[in-house]
Amino acid sequence: MRIFLMQRLTAIALLVFLTLHMVVVHYPPGHIDVSRVLDRLHDPLWKGIDIAFLFVVLVHALTGSYMVITDVERFDVYKRALAGIAVVAGVALFIYGTQTILAF
Amino acid sequence: MYRSTGFLSFLLRRVTGVALVLYLLLHIWVIGGINSGADTFNSRMEFLGKPFFRVLEIGLLAAVVYHGIDGIRLLMVHYLNVTEYRKSLLYAALAVSAILVIAGGLPILLFALEG
Repeated sequence: MRIFLMQRLTAIALLVFLTLHMVVVHYPPGHIDVSRVLDRLHDPLWKGIDIAFLFVVLVHALTGSYMVITDVERFDVYKRALAGIAVVAGVALFIYGTQTILAF
Repeated sequence: MYRSTGFLSFLLRRVTGVALVLYLLLHIWVIGGINSGADTFNSRMEFLGKPFFRVLEIGLLAAVVYHGIDGIRLLMVHYLNVTEYRKSLLYAALAVSAILVIAGGLPILLFALEG
C-alpha cells in the first residue's frame, strides 16, 4: 500500500514536472543549445526544480520497476532484496544526478 | 483475458513504463558526462545526435505521452468513481495520445530529416 501510494503521489507530481520540462527544455525541437541550458541552470530556482524533478522521477521509476518485477510470482520471495536494491540504486542515482545538475 | 481492454491497458502501461525507465538511465548517463568534463559530455551528446536516435525520440515521445495520459485515466477511474467508463476512457486516452504524438512527432521527424 505504501509503494502504491508513493507511485500515485509521484505520478501526480510528474504530470507537473514533466510538462514543465518538455515545454521549457524540449520544444520546439532543435532549439536546445548548451548556452540556453547553462543560462537556465545558473538560476538556483531551476536547480532546485530539477533536483526535485530528479527525486520524484527516480521514486516513480524505481517503485514502478519494483511493482513490475514483483508481479511475477517467482520473484515474490525476493521482495525484501529487491526493495533494498531499489533503495541503493535510487540513492546512488540521486547523488550522481544532483552532482550533474550542480555542475552546470 | 489477453484480448480484453484491461489487459491491453495493463500491457501498454508496463511496456511504456519499462521503456521509460531504460531511457531515464540513459538520460542520466548522457547528461552526467558533464561530471567527467566537457569532452565526455560532448561525445555522449554527439553519440545521441545520430539520425537513428533522433527518430527514436518519436518513440520516446509516444511512450511519455501515452504513459502520462494513461496515468491520468487511472487516477480518474480510481478517484472520480467512473469505473463503468474505463473502456471508453482507455479509447479516449489512446486517441488523445495519438493526436499529441502526431503533433509533437512531426516537428521531431522534420528536424531529424534536416540532419
